[in-house]
Amino acid sequence: MLKEFRVYRQFVRINLLSGLEYKGWWLMIFQVLVATVGDPLAVILVFSRFGNIGAWSMERILLMYAMAFTAYGLGETLFRGFSYFPYRMIRSGDFDRVLLRPKSLFVQVSASFFHIHRAARPFMGLCIIIWSLVRLDVQFTFVNVMVLIFALAGGFLTYAGVFVLSSGVAFFTINALDWIHVLTSASREVVRVPTPYLPQALRHIFIFVMPVLVIIYFPAAAIGDWGGAYWRGWLALPAGAAFFAAGMLFWRIGVSHYKSTGS
Amino acid sequence: MSRTLKACRSLFIIRVTENLQYRAAGIANSSISIIWSILQIVIFTIFFTLGDATGAAMTLTQAITYAWLTQILWSIVGYFTVDAEIREKVINGNVALDLCRPLDLYAHWFSKTMANKIGRSAWRSAFTLIAAVGVPAALRLSPPVSIEGFLLFLISLCTGALLCVAFAMLMAAVRVGLTWGEGPTYMLESVGMFLNGNYFPLALWPDFMQGFLLFQPFAGLMDIPFRFYLGLLAPSDAFWVIGLQIFWVVAFIAAGRFLLNRKISHLIVQGG
Repeated sequence: MLKEFRVYRQFVRINLLSGLEYKGWWLMIFQVLVATVGDPLAVILVFSRFGNIGAWSMERILLMYAMAFTAYGLGETLFRGFSYFPYRMIRSGDFDRVLLRPKSLFVQVSASFFHIHRAARPFMGLCIIIWSLVRLDVQFTFVNVMVLIFALAGGFLTYAGVFVLSSGVAFFTINALDWIHVLTSASREVVRVPTPYLPQALRHIFIFVMPVLVIIYFPAAAIGDWGGAYWRGWLALPAGAAFFAAGMLFWRIGVSHYKSTGS
Repeated sequence: MSRTLKACRSLFIIRVTENLQYRAAGIANSSISIIWSILQIVIFTIFFTLGDATGAAMTLTQAITYAWLTQILWSIVGYFTVDAEIREKVINGNVALDLCRPLDLYAHWFSKTMANKIGRSAWRSAFTLIAAVGVPAALRLSPPVSIEGFLLFLISLCTGALLCVAFAMLMAAVRVGLTWGEGPTYMLESVGMFLNGNYFPLALWPDFMQGFLLFQPFAGLMDIPFRFYLGLLAPSDAFWVIGLQIFWVVAFIAAGRFLLNRKISHLIVQGG
């Protein structure tokens, strides 16, 4: 385990240094900042037009939305290799080279790309989470903070699971991976509206199939006291872990069926 | 000049027919567009019915139609990332091969980008359109407001498509400066993505911003054509609004050509 961690760190270091070779690397950080300012802006625009919906203020939605994109950003930062895998490794046949090395496959793929500017998104997300929590007068008790940390950990695992899952499926489909947007961008759209008003079918899909409401809405409702049982807030981490395990299963199946494609 | 035009026309036709072969991919991608539209419609419905929509310049039906139009015409006027093929060429050095052809590089790439857009989007758009008129009435795409509105929609859509390619070409020219990496193009892209109305229809943004929103170049991509379709812009405004679109097309083409020629004049080819 420790050895794997060292390999991961080494890969990340090399990727980081090669990224700094580009003249515009600082522009990349600036760009992600523009993009991350854009994310919450969409929520703010909607609320500036339509106002609050019952007890649902802009701060509540911003909290949920920021939790979602912090979790997504963490997954994207630390598992960039998996999110690029279908495009950069399968079709070109580069995966063959990875298979030849006597080191953990999982670590090599996950750290095959690392972009420091991706960390701008979780950073921005954390700032918005704290701002909304203060605005919502949430008590920063030990239990509440733990629920929040577990929720972000569960969210990270869920989005990491999405990337691993897509890489596993890519072994069979090689191309056409647009469906992944349903699990990434669309799952973030779902938390842009007050959850109780979502149609039931959508609510069930995003609880039982892709657990975005479990990792975002339940913990947020628990610490913000928006109704519902408090214990549901603790479900985030187990749900995220389960989704990640499912992604890993697909990845394993994919690897064992791998037939080289490139030359 | 006429030789270049002829060559570009053949390139365009070859590329469109080539892309039209991928029908299965088109169907698969249209399912994403459909799911996405329905999600947007759910969001609009919740906010329009439960929130305070009195000051809104649009009705719920119009917003639903806007959501469908965005997805149906996404690849033509919504998506302006540098063409994948061109980006690949810049990275692996095959730009040099394109420079060997006795063709104007800008015109060559312009026609290819346009062809890839149209070829790739045809099936996807067709299937999304079928879904948009086939769903239950509460989610359905409504017909255009009037015949004039529809004709103006088509005209400004063509200008919008040109604008979209001109913008993609400007970004391609920026991307030729390889040592800068993806940073500058990403930034241009995120600004464009935000101001073209795909996150939130421009007419629903705060009132004090409306003037600016209509004049900035990215409104010409999707928002202006859609406003004609929905009747938010009167046919009498067509002259200056479409003129504005054309102005931005010319500006983007001039900037793109200038930048591309300058970058090419001291290009260092990477790879072999």
